[in-house]
Amino acid sequence: MSSGASGGGGGGGAASGGGNSNHQRGAAQRPNGQTQNKICQFKLVLLGESAVGKSSLVLRFVKGQFHEYQESTIGAAFLTQTICLDDTTVKFEIWDTAGQERYHSLAPMYYRGAQAAIVVYDITNQDTFGRAKTWVKELQRQASPTIVIALAGNKQDLANKRMVEYEEAQAYADENGLLFMETSAKTAMNVSEIFLAIARKLPKNDQSGGGGGGAGGSSQGRRLAEGDSGSRGPAGACCK
Amino acid sequence: MSVSLLKKPQMHFGAITFFAKQHKDDVCGSNGLPLTPNSIIIYGRAQILKTIVNPYLCRYLDIIRGKHERTIAVSQYCGKPLSSFIEKSVFSFTDIKRIAYQVLQGLKELHSRNIVHHNLSSENILYENGNIKLFNYGLYYMTDNGKLVSFPIVQLLYTAPEVYLEEFKEIIANPKVDIWSLGIILAELTLNKLLWSSLILGQRIRKVLSLVQSTTSVFERIAREHNCYDRYQAIPADLKEIIEVCLNIYSEDRPTAAELLEKGIFDEFQVQKTDWLSLLKMYEIFTISELYYWWQLTGGDVLQELKRQGLIRSSPPILSLPHLVLIEGTILGQDRNPATLYDPKIVEMPMETLYERFKNISFSCYYPLIQTKSEIIAQSEPEPYDATGLPLVIKEKDPEYQFHRVILLRRLLHGYPFTRDLIVKEAEKDIPPLFRGDIWSALLNVRGDYERQYAKIDKATPTPTDRQIEVDIPRCHQYNELLSSMEGHKKLKRILKAWVNQNTQYVYWQGLDSLTAPFLYLNFNDEAKAFSCLSKFVPKYLHNFFLKDNSAVIEEYLAKFSQLIAFHDPVLANHLYEINFYPQLFAIPWFLTLFSHVFPLHKILHLWDKVLLGNSSFSLHIGLSVLTQLRDRLLNSGFNECILLFSDLPEVDIEKCVILSAETFQKTPGSITHREYENEEFKKTGELDISGVTLQDLKKERCPRISVSDLLELIRNSPDKAIVVDIRNITQFNRCSVRDSINIPFSSVCFSENKIENVGHHSNVLKDNLDKIVVVVGDEETDLELFPTFLLNCNVKFVCVLHGGFNILLPISPTILASQNHIS
Repeated sequence: MSSGASGGGGGGGAASGGGNSNHQRGAAQRPNGQTQNKICQFKLVLLGESAVGKSSLVLRFVKGQFHEYQESTIGAAFLTQTICLDDTTVKFEIWDTAGQERYHSLAPMYYRGAQAAIVVYDITNQDTFGRAKTWVKELQRQASPTIVIALAGNKQDLANKRMVEYEEAQAYADENGLLFMETSAKTAMNVSEIFLAIARKLPKNDQSGGGGGGAGGSSQGRRLAEGDSGSRGPAGACCK
Repeated sequence: MSVSLLKKPQMHFGAITFFAKQHKDDVCGSNGLPLTPNSIIIYGRAQILKTIVNPYLCRYLDIIRGKHERTIAVSQYCGKPLSSFIEKSVFSFTDIKRIAYQVLQGLKELHSRNIVHHNLSSENILYENGNIKLFNYGLYYMTDNGKLVSFPIVQLLYTAPEVYLEEFKEIIANPKVDIWSLGIILAELTLNKLLWSSLILGQRIRKVLSLVQSTTSVFERIAREHNCYDRYQAIPADLKEIIEVCLNIYSEDRPTAAELLEKGIFDEFQVQKTDWLSLLKMYEIFTISELYYWWQLTGGDVLQELKRQGLIRSSPPILSLPHLVLIEGTILGQDRNPATLYDPKIVEMPMETLYERFKNISFSCYYPLIQTKSEIIAQSEPEPYDATGLPLVIKEKDPEYQFHRVILLRRLLHGYPFTRDLIVKEAEKDIPPLFRGDIWSALLNVRGDYERQYAKIDKATPTPTDRQIEVDIPRCHQYNELLSSMEGHKKLKRILKAWVNQNTQYVYWQGLDSLTAPFLYLNFNDEAKAFSCLSKFVPKYLHNFFLKDNSAVIEEYLAKFSQLIAFHDPVLANHLYEINFYPQLFAIPWFLTLFSHVFPLHKILHLWDKVLLGNSSFSLHIGLSVLTQLRDRLLNSGFNECILLFSDLPEVDIEKCVILSAETFQKTPGSITHREYENEEFKKTGELDISGVTLQDLKKERCPRISVSDLLELIRNSPDKAIVVDIRNITQFNRCSVRDSINIPFSSVCFSENKIENVGHHSNVLKDNLDKIVVVVGDEETDLELFPTFLLNCNVKFVCVLHGGFNILLPISPTILASQNHIS
């Protein structure tokens, strides 16, 4: 299978946002030729205990960077990245949320209408794994029923301080039908892989994209019509 | 000449430099983060040294980190090393006693702070006009008992024998080491002999160790070895006794500095202190630390000076390449020449540029007039140094301007809290960076016993919040040397724990760490003050933001933010509204941390300089000014681009930001940003103010409300700044209405299209409105959302709605009302 992140490491800086959206708009403005690549847009949310590396995973995926002292996220941060998967261009709209339990009340605002979620834990900390399980339960209960959930055991580079066994997490993921990988934002191990795996699992011909959990923002899929330069709030998916 | 004030002999400084131990490449700590460089740990530890003010200790002024783990310590440096006087027969026994007394006073101060000199020798005791000062006494302390450097901190001859005998790793700082060193120094002085000066290094150590075996007095043995027995016998008994006890080979038998000072021999030097004198702090118009600050502003550069005087030598980069790099990354052959790790040479800093630059400052500028009732006296004051109109960053770098500011503010701060009003007045001009910490705490009303209060708080007992605090601290403003140092981490943790402990109604929210950071940065050596500032800041500016359930407070704040945008910039507000770009998605970290999580420290400082002068709604205006700076990009962007813009906030010009926010703040009547959740302690609401607006209603209203009292003030004081739009029907309007108001009956307007022409012949007044506040007045029968929203959609600026409607005006202020029956 020929697939890979488009400019995964090279997006870089503010240009990545603008660049991506131009790309999106440019592609969307083409006439609906049959030979054109399909463009899909998905909303993805990252959840997990604080300091497990959610922002670092996104930063690695979107900009190919890693900051040792990545600042804590308050509220949420938003980033986009586009990858190519066979004949499809997949654009991720990524909501990176705050990890602290107290910000929990904000979380539904971000996972509402999301087609995919990465629940992150830190393999050197058992508690964060417990918290990840809680997030999975909440997503299964509250989010869209068709949401694709991936479990990421981050900080694989610290495997010698491991507190959560690979097999344990794998078994849990199998039981719950989650994608699972151990990742390292620091070494980039499995970072684009996990996003690619999600992209593969997401439905790419179904117009609705499967949103629909919560109230608020439109859960309907959204066509990338001409002049439509942005999605409606933290919601919406589209393929064409 | 007034420059002579600057030229006092005490007002000189010098620097020493050394390298910290380098970590092996790419080692990580247990948390996966890279190890803190040793030079940063040193930087953090050394800060406290700057607070030591003692006549017998050279004052530490600055710690500077250079490249490759270099550390530079700048401190007062005056006089000549004591060693240069030995063998010249200049000291009488009384002189020597005085020197002993002064050294002991210095040591006592250090030991009382658990600082061991460990480096004491006649080289680093500076002598001038009969007085001494200890120099370079902090090296051992700042390097964590020498653990952070790879060279030994000893003075071969002066170091106590036990230091050589103990395992290096196990050394705990023992103050008795310094007492031995003093003994040796006094031996040198009394015998008038540099000891073992002809011997080489190894022999010297052997000599010191051989003293351990001595069965008789160590001092006597030294005297005999140097053929000074006659001189030894001539030493007064009391002085001899002091030296003997200092040179006791058993460290536990040596007396402490405090004990030695009790001896009768020193009675003649004891300063008789009456109680009232010790209560009075001597006021100095400036100290050496201010002088050092000015020196830097006039171009003084310690690093350059060290280079110029040959203490920092740069070698060609090619020489620093490793000899061999193994495939897994181990680097060999990159070791630094151990001889260059520490050079005991002291570089004195040249002062000429400063003297030259300040030579025209008149004497009276050193004693600025603070208060006078006499105009004649006031007029005789020299013209103030004019820096108005200069950008803030230039002002902060202008030596003369900072000279005047520092002299004045130092005096005002000395009089705090009685001078608080004057400090506020000066802070409105600008805040001199040197005193920012103290000025901020004055603005925040931090009062006297803050230290005792802080000491009483439990900062140690583990709590469930600890984990969160511990993961947040290592990523909070870590680009900053102070905050990334171990001391910084420890202090921040203590302050946060103390805050959580003291504010049981609140909980720790992520972001509180960032909020505390500026206070800690400015008061690094006064943790209690940092805590106090935080404790005063939160109730005033972030009242109830840290409640366990703060959603209502935050929601209200964000709703007010949306309304403020609508009030000042309808075009932008409409655009953001259309693309669903609401503040919940981007502005929570802005307001929850008052931008301290958003901007780097140097920007926060300038921003908060103004925040502290305003009220809690000022940060809404800052938020608005940030949007205004990015306005063009926002207007041309869709949702994704907008949100991306804020996820990675571009460079924001803080000075512009501050000016813009001050402008909109001035322009906005207070009630526009009225919030139900505001702290009542800082805002009393009367019956003419807004009250009782539910959050639900607030979130529906896109235009803000204005209070009757603000409307009255507008109409009375600046009627040309207001347009009152009465939307009641024409009969009601004619019967009674606000003088000069215009009538656009609600029912006469077609709201289906956003065209201002729909309002009829008054449309031009509204369309052309540039700076007038448009107050919509209605009553129970008119919809008070539709009409203002319509104006907003038509991009009419400054639209607000009278809270309470027309009827609220009737009983209150008949004077502004008129019957307009004559108008058809």
